[in-house]
Formats: sequence, C-alpha cells, structure tokens
Amino acid sequence: MTHSSSVIDGNQVAVHLSDVWKMFPGVVANAGVELCVRRGTIHALLGENGAGKSTLMNVLAGVYRPDRGQLKLHGQVHSFRNPADALSAGVGMVHQEFRLIPSFSVAENVVLGSAPSLIRPRQLEAEVAAIAEKFGLRVDPTQPLWQLSMGERQKVEILKVLWRDASVLILDEPTTVLTPSEVDELAEILRRMAQDGRSIIFISHKLHEVSGICSEATVLRQGKTVATSLDMAATDAAELARLMVGSSPVAPDRPEVATPGDPLLELTELRASGDRGIDAFSNITFQVNSGEIVGIAGVAGNGQRELADVIAGLRPSTQGSVTLNGADVTTASPQQRFRAGLGYIPEDRLGVGLAPRLSITDNAILRIYRQQRRGPFIVAEKALAYCQDLITRFGVRSGDPHGPIAALSGGNLQRLLVGRELDGQPSVVVAAQPTRGLDVQGVKAIQDLLLDQRKAGAAVLMISEDLDELLTLTDRLLVMEGGVIRGEFDPRTVSRHEVGMAMLADTNAATR
Amino acid sequence: MTRRPRLDLRDQPLVGGQPLAFGIGLAIALFVGTLLLLGAGHDPLKVYSRMFEASLGDPDAWAVTLNRAVPLGLAGLAVAVAGSMGLWNIGAEGQIMAGAIGASWVARIGGEWPGLILITVMLIAALGGGGLLALGPAVAKAKLGVNEIITTLMLNEVAIRLVQWLIHGPWKDPDAYNFPLAPMLPEQAHLPTLFSRAHCGILIAAGVIVISSVAVKYTAWGYELRIAGSSEATARYSGISLPQKILTVLVLSGGIAGLAGGVELTGTADRLTETLSNGFGFAGIIVAALALMRPSGVAVVAVLFGAVQIGGQSIQTLGVSSSVSTILQAFVLFGAIGAGVLSRYRILFEGEAQPAPEAVDK
Repeated sequence: MTHSSSVIDGNQVAVHLSDVWKMFPGVVANAGVELCVRRGTIHALLGENGAGKSTLMNVLAGVYRPDRGQLKLHGQVHSFRNPADALSAGVGMVHQEFRLIPSFSVAENVVLGSAPSLIRPRQLEAEVAAIAEKFGLRVDPTQPLWQLSMGERQKVEILKVLWRDASVLILDEPTTVLTPSEVDELAEILRRMAQDGRSIIFISHKLHEVSGICSEATVLRQGKTVATSLDMAATDAAELARLMVGSSPVAPDRPEVATPGDPLLELTELRASGDRGIDAFSNITFQVNSGEIVGIAGVAGNGQRELADVIAGLRPSTQGSVTLNGADVTTASPQQRFRAGLGYIPEDRLGVGLAPRLSITDNAILRIYRQQRRGPFIVAEKALAYCQDLITRFGVRSGDPHGPIAALSGGNLQRLLVGRELDGQPSVVVAAQPTRGLDVQGVKAIQDLLLDQRKAGAAVLMISEDLDELLTLTDRLLVMEGGVIRGEFDPRTVSRHEVGMAMLADTNAATR
Repeated sequence: MTRRPRLDLRDQPLVGGQPLAFGIGLAIALFVGTLLLLGAGHDPLKVYSRMFEASLGDPDAWAVTLNRAVPLGLAGLAVAVAGSMGLWNIGAEGQIMAGAIGASWVARIGGEWPGLILITVMLIAALGGGGLLALGPAVAKAKLGVNEIITTLMLNEVAIRLVQWLIHGPWKDPDAYNFPLAPMLPEQAHLPTLFSRAHCGILIAAGVIVISSVAVKYTAWGYELRIAGSSEATARYSGISLPQKILTVLVLSGGIAGLAGGVELTGTADRLTETLSNGFGFAGIIVAALALMRPSGVAVVAVLFGAVQIGGQSIQTLGVSSSVSTILQAFVLFGAIGAGVLSRYRILFEGEAQPAPEAVDK
C-alpha cells in the first residue's frame, strides 16, 4: 500500500530522490527508495531502526554513493562524490555524533574546514553571531565549546551547516540529546529556517515530536518506501505507527505455554546513567521467573542497552536493586554475578563478549580458565578440549581452534558466545540482541538455545529490536521507551500495532 | 570513472608476513642507501660488504652484534610486554638509566663481595630501579587513567638528569682528574665473557625473553593480559581487574628495561655514564613494533637491528658519515612497517567486491 499526496509542482521541489538503491555486503539498506521534499518545508523521515533512513540521508549528503538511482536538487540532477560536493550543492547534514573540537570557540568550530585563509577572530565571531541571531540560535560565538551543553553543541552543528549556506538541512535524530524545552526551541529554529526558504529533513522515530514540527512525512520500512509525502495534518499517529512497524502476521510456531516458577531475576526501582551522564533509564521494576522468557521491546537508544549492562554489572546503577536467585547483587562484580548464576549475552559480541584479537580457544575459555590452571599455567590440552566440546555441542563451524576469532562468521561467533554463556547452566540468562545480523539458520539456532534454557527452568530476559521475534518467543513482553517501561503485554494476544504504539510512546497506548 | 585503490583488512594476516616485511624493509633501505652512497661518491658494494663483515662476518663481529642486541632486546621486551596489554611504555630509555643507577649503587656498597653474588644483587637492583621509575606512571594510569605515554616519556628526562647529578656530584670519581665520571666497577662485577668479546648478557636476555614469552602465552596471568590488551570491555566482562593488571604490567615493563641498564653496565660499560642508555630505550620501541608487540619475536628482531646498528657504525672508517647509517636504520623501519601493513591489509580498487543489486535483493 502506498500513500501519496497530490501532485507536487516541480519548481517547488527542493529534493527529489528516485529509485535509490544502496547495498552493503549481505544487506540491502535502500531498495528503490523515493523521497520528495518541497522547498521551505520541514519533512519527516520516519522508520524503525534499520529501515534505511540513515543510509538514504548519507546518500543525499554525499557520504555514500548510491548503487543506482537519481538525485535531483531544485530540478537539477546531481551526483556527489563526497560530502564536500554535497555541501557545495547546498546539502548539509547534522549527524547524531557531533564533530566538534572542544578547545575551539563556537565561531572557530563553525568555520572549521572552510575557514578563510586569514582568520580575523572578531569578524568571524560577528558573522557567526549574525547568522545565529537571524535564526534564533542562542549561542555565544566566543565561548569555548567544552563549556557547552549537548543542546548548545547541536546548535553549533546547525550553525556550521548554515554558515556554508546550505539550502537543504538534514538532521539525524536531533532530539535524542535534547531536553523537552530544548526540543521546543529547536522546533522554533527549524520553522524560522523553513520560512527563510530552506528545506529541512528531520529523521526520527518519535511520532509525537514529529507531528508537532513537520508538515509532511515519508515512511521507510525494510529499505523500501511505504509512504511518500504524507500530509501530517491529515494522518493520525496510529496510521503512522502502522506504516512504520507493518502488520505482518505473527509466526505460528509458538512454544508451549510456560508454567513460570519462582522469580530468579528481580529488578526494583532500578535507575542508571547513560554514557552522557543523563539518566538512561529510571524506575525499572520487574521480575523474570523460572521457566519463562520475558522480552523487552523498544526502538534502540531507549535505555535497553544500559539496562542489560547494569544487570550484568558492567555499569553501576544509581538507585534501586538487582536480585539474582534471591541474593542482592546490586554492587557485585560481573564475575560474582556469573558465579551467582547469570549468563550474559551482550549486544556487542566482538568487543565485550569476545576479545577480537585472540584465538577461538582463548575466547572459549574466558569463563572457566580459572578452573583450568595448574600452578600459574593454563593447561593447554584442557583449554583445547573445552573449546572443541563447545564447537561440537553448539554447532560452531570453524577451522583451526587456534585460529583468530575474528575469522568466524557472525552466526558462528554468536553460537560460540551463547554456548559459552549457557554451558555453565545459568539460572538467569540476559540476552541482548541475540539474533541481530544473523542468517536464518543462525537465528533459529540461537532461538532454540534460549527456548531450551526456558525449558530447563532458567529465567530468560531477551532484549531485541525485532518485534516479530519477541512476539514469537516470549511469554511476557515489556516495552521500553524513554528509559521507562511503557507497558506490559501478553504476546499471545497483543497486536503488533499496539506494541508499536507503545514503542513510539503514543500517549494512548502508554496508558493501556 | 577512476578506480581509486583502498586498503581492505585481510581476514587473516598473511602467513610469514612479518619476516617478509622485514626483508622488504631491508631491501628498500639498501636501495635508498645505494642512491645516497652513490650521491656522496662512495662505492655501495664496498660499503655494504664492510657493514656485513663488521656485524655478521666472523665470530668477533657476531660478538659485538650480540652485545648490542642484549640491551635492544631487553628494551624491546619491556615495550612489548606493556604492548601486549595495549599500553605504551615510552620510558625505557630512562628506566635503563634507573636500572644502571640501582646496579651502580649496589656495586658501591658491595665492592668486596664475591662476583656471582655481587652481579646477581646488582641485576636485582637494576630490575628494582627500572620498576621504581615506572611505578609512578603505573599508579597514575591504574588509579586515575593518566596517559602513560606522557608520564613515562617525561620521566626519561628525570632519570638522565639524576645520572648527571650523581656523576657530577656525590658519585664523582675522585681519581678521574675532575672529569664527571663515576668510579670504575670493581673487577669482579663484570659479566664473564662467553666467546670473543661477547658477554653472558646474551644468556640473561635470552632467558628473560623466553620466560616472558611463556608467561604471556601460557599462564593465566598472561591470558588475562592478552584479554585486556584485546578489549578492555571483555576484560571487565570476565571479571579481570584492570587497575591491578595495569600496575603489575607497567612496573614489570620498567623492571625489564631497568635490567637492560644493569646488564649493559656490568657487561659493556665499565662505569655509570650519562650516555649509558645510548638510545636503546627508544630503539626498543622500534624493536617491539617490528616484533608486532610479541615477546617471542623480540629476540630475532633485536639481533637483526643490532647488526644494522653495528654495521652502520663500522662504515664510518670508510669515510661515510654516521648520518648515513642512521638514515639506513630509519628506512629499514619505514620499509618494514609499510610492508607490515600489507601483510594485514590487501589493496582493492574501488568497485571491486561489491555485490550486484539483484544478487542480494530479498
């Protein structure tokens, strides 16, 4: 089903992308995407994680070259070789990660990369101040950058693009670093820029923010356009949510209904900070019982990663408690938690779960090498035997066990990691994105292992961005958004759409 | 469309890539050296054969080269041990001095002791001296996360000034006609010779390198070190205490460099001088880098690098400027590192290895 607004006058079109294809090894990020942005409007680009939004915008900003497709700016066909090309044609992008230099002043950061050969600081500052004034960006051009808040740094990034006089501005999830009042301020700035005749593409997956700021929207799902140039005023949030998450039927092979036993993992009023020092999540209270799989659904970046880290002991909590098998482990080390019966499958496999430069055997024995010592030595035969045992039992396809771990494919890496974590028969398993990026067989193998754990009486907490997977496997489904639990659902009866609404924090769904 | 080349990481490093890289580096150095020598009006063949004779031509030459390889190897090992955990000890130069100070101090108070005991205690003191100089950076890194590159580097200067103060002041030899020299070591404090002019230091260095390699490769301690060096997050995940590891590894690294100073003092130098470290600590960084931070590779690289240094010095008697030898050393390094990159990466041209659109469309 494709939605489309009435025919748009060609002269009024600032950006027109047609039939854009972009492939990465094994992934089709964009498969024939269409995008049409009218001049002087704020256009929302919506979609779940992995829908292809960022790829498309990187194509527009000259970071990626499309494999196929046409790019028109104000009616003219362009082909960008690099971001500088795009910028000189008037396309500027504000990335999620800021690219600023802390020791430089605001003005110096703004002109970075395109500074005149002779820098006169006063004059630069005056010029930057003039632009800031025009669009209502409240920053002091003389202030050193390190003194600025995240919201102010974002304004510097916007100023950088305006300084280069971009007529098309792309903002990649700009609100994730902002407080609510800063979001309102940003909206006002964007409106002024639109009035000035500039076109803005606003990437987001937060419906409630988008509806207040943007006039039109394009929705992507799985690399394809499902709706172009929707009139936001005429489309309700429920319709947008449905477009974003789709309505594919849930797979029928649901496991037997579980008969949950005692609570093995209990989180009470848990709270922790993210990498930027602001709360990643707060007031998280739930328990996972023996013999059940509890799922956590949510769009990435809503506190799930931090929650998994806190349960595993890799990130300190600032409030509340974590209980494993009835024992309080709130302040325990990762190793103590492992001994207390926690198996943890981290989201970041190669880098947290596995050491990338070491051999397969070295990685296999990570949890048990302390038991394989004779004097100061690790007994090589025991280590090798253990590794080969894991390889056979968990179906890891690998060559030489002494070969580098990085040579394994994603699916085999994950089989080894999951096998290692499940080998000690943990009573609680926390699996973060356990099947992400795996092929069909790999997904099935990992899911089966988790179901086996459930059968054996373990409490399994599964954090995933794949809603279908969660609806199929879990016994209870929690939805996390903005660092809090937005609702609990029975995956047997709930519709994809209801969960989608909670994931996107639509107020109606949140109250349930 | 132009096809621009780009580097692509190989799944596995090329087998035998590193020796090959060293060979290529040497070849590049010889080629550039040939141009330089021709430009300066020398006969390259004559110069190169002299270099070879003086460094590897006969047992006497081997002895000099091996003596040189000892401090290079130990300093390289010091850097490589820290490097196994991803730490950079740039302070080997100063730690060599600190080790030499420790050993000299023992020689001053133990002048009457029998040789074996005296040398043993001197070497232990050398180990301690180097370790002590590395202790500050180690604590700062472990507790506060202070960058160890800066702190170890700056302490080099401190150690060298300390030696200068000692030999100009309290440890100045009264019989040296007012030259700033420390007294000669007692006779029994010299390492026994093995053959020709080669001293036993080569055995000590080989022993320490073997022990360190085994420790890093086969012990639980070394395993934790390698995990931490590969990924700090993985180390934390598996319950390895990073501060404790940083502390022990940096102090040990300093100790090994200190030992290099002790061996150099008892083996080659007769007394503590302000030039005793002779750039070995910095050359050690190069040795460790060429050995890919693997303790086991340090020995071979140290001997080869020692030969290049000794050969380079020998050609000065032919009227070739010593700068030429320094330039040659630099080109061996550049060439080897450049070639080393190619053992881990391959060159692809833009457009290659891109799947066709239809092939992966779902």
